[in-house]
Amino acid sequence: MKRSLVSAAAVLLLAGCSGSGGEPAPQQGAGGSPAKVTLEWWHLSTAEPLKSLWARRAEQFEAKYPHVTIEATVLENEAYKAKLTTLTQSGKAPDVFASWGGGVLQQQIDAGLVKDISGDVSAVLPTFTPAALSAYQVDGKTYGLPTDIGLVGFWYNKKLFEQAGITQPPATWSAFLDDVKKLKAAGVTPIALAGKEKWPGHYYWAYLAMRIAGLDALKQAAVDHDFTKPDFVAAGQQVKALADLQPFQKGFLGAAYSTPDGQSATVSNGKAAMELMGQWAPSVQTSSGKGLGEDLGFFPFPAVEGGKGQAGDAFGGGGGLTVGADAPKEAVDFVTFMTEMGNHSEAVGSGGVLPVLKGEESAVKDPNLKQVATLLASAVGYQLYLDQAYPPAVGQQVNDSVAELIAGTKTPEEVGADITEVAKSEG
Amino acid sequence: MTTLTTGPEAVRLPAPAPAGGRRGRWVSIALFLLPALALFLLLVVAPMLVALYSSVFRWNGFGGLPTDFIGLDNFTRLFTSEIFARDLWHLLVLVVLSVGVQLPFSLAIAMLLNQRLRGRALYRVVFFAPYVLSEVITGVLFSLILSPDSGMANQVLSVFGLESEWLANPDTVMPSLFLVMTWKYFGFHMMIYLAGRQSIPNELVEAAQIDGATAWKTFRYVTLPLLGPTIRISVFLSVIYTIQLFDLVWILTGGGPSHASETMAVTMMDWGFKRSQVGYASAISVVMFALSLVFALVYQRFVLRRDLEGAMTSQGGR
Amino acid sequence: MNHGKRRRRTTLPLHAIALVVGVFMIMPVFYALLGGFKENSELSANPFGLPETWVIANYTDVLGSGSFWRQMWNSMFIAVITTVVTVALSALAAFVFARFAFRGRELYFTLFTAGLMFPFAVAILPIFVLLRTLGLLDNPLGVILTQAAFGLPLTIIILRGFFRGIPGEIEEAATIDGCTPFGFFWRILLPMARPAIATVSVLAIVGSWNNFMLPLVVFSEEASWTLPLGIQQFQGQYASDTARILAYLVLAMVPALGFYAVAERHLVGGLTAGATKG
Repeated sequence: MKRSLVSAAAVLLLAGCSGSGGEPAPQQGAGGSPAKVTLEWWHLSTAEPLKSLWARRAEQFEAKYPHVTIEATVLENEAYKAKLTTLTQSGKAPDVFASWGGGVLQQQIDAGLVKDISGDVSAVLPTFTPAALSAYQVDGKTYGLPTDIGLVGFWYNKKLFEQAGITQPPATWSAFLDDVKKLKAAGVTPIALAGKEKWPGHYYWAYLAMRIAGLDALKQAAVDHDFTKPDFVAAGQQVKALADLQPFQKGFLGAAYSTPDGQSATVSNGKAAMELMGQWAPSVQTSSGKGLGEDLGFFPFPAVEGGKGQAGDAFGGGGGLTVGADAPKEAVDFVTFMTEMGNHSEAVGSGGVLPVLKGEESAVKDPNLKQVATLLASAVGYQLYLDQAYPPAVGQQVNDSVAELIAGTKTPEEVGADITEVAKSEG
Repeated sequence: MTTLTTGPEAVRLPAPAPAGGRRGRWVSIALFLLPALALFLLLVVAPMLVALYSSVFRWNGFGGLPTDFIGLDNFTRLFTSEIFARDLWHLLVLVVLSVGVQLPFSLAIAMLLNQRLRGRALYRVVFFAPYVLSEVITGVLFSLILSPDSGMANQVLSVFGLESEWLANPDTVMPSLFLVMTWKYFGFHMMIYLAGRQSIPNELVEAAQIDGATAWKTFRYVTLPLLGPTIRISVFLSVIYTIQLFDLVWILTGGGPSHASETMAVTMMDWGFKRSQVGYASAISVVMFALSLVFALVYQRFVLRRDLEGAMTSQGGR
Repeated sequence: MNHGKRRRRTTLPLHAIALVVGVFMIMPVFYALLGGFKENSELSANPFGLPETWVIANYTDVLGSGSFWRQMWNSMFIAVITTVVTVALSALAAFVFARFAFRGRELYFTLFTAGLMFPFAVAILPIFVLLRTLGLLDNPLGVILTQAAFGLPLTIIILRGFFRGIPGEIEEAATIDGCTPFGFFWRILLPMARPAIATVSVLAIVGSWNNFMLPLVVFSEEASWTLPLGIQQFQGQYASDTARILAYLVLAMVPALGFYAVAERHLVGGLTAGATKG
């Protein structure tokens, strides 16, 4: 609101300057049409189809509200997180920005940087699925609307699995390890991993901790700052057991996610049999490499025998748009516009995101994504990415420690101790 | 360090009393000095004090000033941190490599280009050129070149069967980083040595040659000792630069794989801006500062004492 | 005769060494230059050969993009203003340190020289906090003033050294002619100090042009990014398009290398003198 007043003043001033030319000043006085507003929008959809779709959406919004100009800043994942952290630490936030919710959002709420939009969006809230919405609701208040929700699982190359004599995707962890051995024996690199960007590695530990210790234990650990329990160490041991098989591509420790020789491209070009990744994996694969087409398959993270967690528990996240504390009211309009049934289901249809609205499921066309959506709908429990769910320092430490575990420089016990230490330092 | 220049010669400049009398003089002094002093106190001295202050707090960096006082906890945490120990180890490795390999190499090339060699002017221009390029350009360029899968380096070396994982492997990342640093910085040290060599009177060298000294002996007993001050400065610059090393590492590896190339400045940025523990990160910067200071003082006291002319800076040496 | 012949033979290995080092130095840039003209698929198959077909789109796309020119402009603007501020403030202070005798002079001067020991990286966090308090984040002034502040010590030292070398008789003559201290400084001292000013300006310009860490934390909004920030972001955004990144790199190198080509002597002299003298 404040901003729109300032820009209104600016328009008046500018009009004063050009007024000498005798032209009528635009906007103002035209029967109460609102003053010009610029919306700063930060997001990280650098891959197609969302990249173009979002740009088109911004144009449509501008066409619908001619007084609004949208300035989009599109950053790649790592750069996005870094830049947004710096910006929020400087005490500012973009008018509209992509968020995963969780501990990072919590910190922004505590710093008074995001707007409570509960009142503005109360009318549309019931249209969302509760699971998608939950990441953006804290203490009964809504701070954003979801645009995507999904889960992490294995994206695999059916042909390479066949080549290794694997007929059925593994349903249990021990079967999974066996399959990794089979793939290796067949001369196929079993798994691609982006070791440089530590977040993909943390999926393994997180999923194993969920399966072995259970969802509640994982949530409890964040509260009482203790990750040293035997179950967490056991999860670490299983990550180590996997890493000891040397299943990853050559040079994986220095590999990024979306670069031409990164994790995604390695799978996409048929150089590795699978990757553990979220619902965006297929679209990134298409842009980073040749793409697998029909050969791409999906299977959920296997169950661990004897674990306390349920096999139906899902791990993942999505995305959503939150509104900066000082944003003009049009920012909320834009967020609701983005998540309207018609607009959002088009994004779902393009394969870029998964349903967040009730009754949107039919829009999913891709069979793999359909499988993800079905799994999600039937999920018993749900855990957000740990590096977003926990406060930044703890989340980054999880990523970091798991990376060290995979690189073989830390033991499972040390991983638990290191995360605990940082969690305690947050106080 | 540069206080050296305020040696004996400083005495001989009782400036003539300018017009305007005593009071006018003080007004001019104040007017001339204040702008620089104010800016310096505000943006150089004050930040150091803020760092010192926030290093004893638990602080996520949001909002005004920190309030959660935790004494020296950040420092004890730092000194028991394995990452920090590795930072120090990397510093040592890079200093040893720089002083033991890069500088002798620069010196050798400087001596070579001091010969009457055809095209030496061109060589000089080419060798110095990378120093002019920014760390970011250098870093991005080499991260593409050293990419293990499709990079140019491995394309070339595969002819000899010598591919490497370069920056992607904890065992090879430090030598690879050092290679890039050498590409970028050796020309700078070479230029310093060339300038130093050219200030040595040729008569001295020629006299030694006439006395029948071999080329090596001439270098060892005449040129090298006379280059002493220059070499001591270039060692100093190299070490100070390595203590603060950030840009290249941040771009090339981000400190990885699994902290194998992390430096203090990278750890500090990581905690300060990615993990929002600004108090802890401030403790790292305080330690970095103390390390630079101690090194500068000790080096000046014990090594540079002899070189009265040899005042130097930490900034130009980047 | 004989002597000359022997010499020619012995320089052969020297030539060989110089050539090998030269190739090592120039290869990366050469690769980038040609790579920018290639298809991505051709890059790995044919790293050094001429492109099969010259793809100029990578270069023209960058040149046609607003962000590239905006970053170039930002870098240039910040470098020029930084240099002006640094040199102006330093010259005034150096003048005082060189030509006035007053109590506390050595103390102030030592304070400035001690500034040489504050590595930039060390102060980055508090600078961020301070600029935030002053409301200078996402503002070119935040970078300009900070760079100027950190440039002061070296610039003051170099200029003071030069100012002191100017004989006292000149100043006396000027004073007799009725010059005020500032008049002497402005009309006589500064013009005489042109070589020293060239040296310190080179240092300030290059330092500012290549600075990464400070703009990285000060600028979050794309509109104020400098070239180094732009390059880093471009690499992330077009991660799968190596040839395009190479083109961007080559174009980003042009100003620095062009400056070097035009003012080689000043640049080398300035950069090495800045580091070793003072």
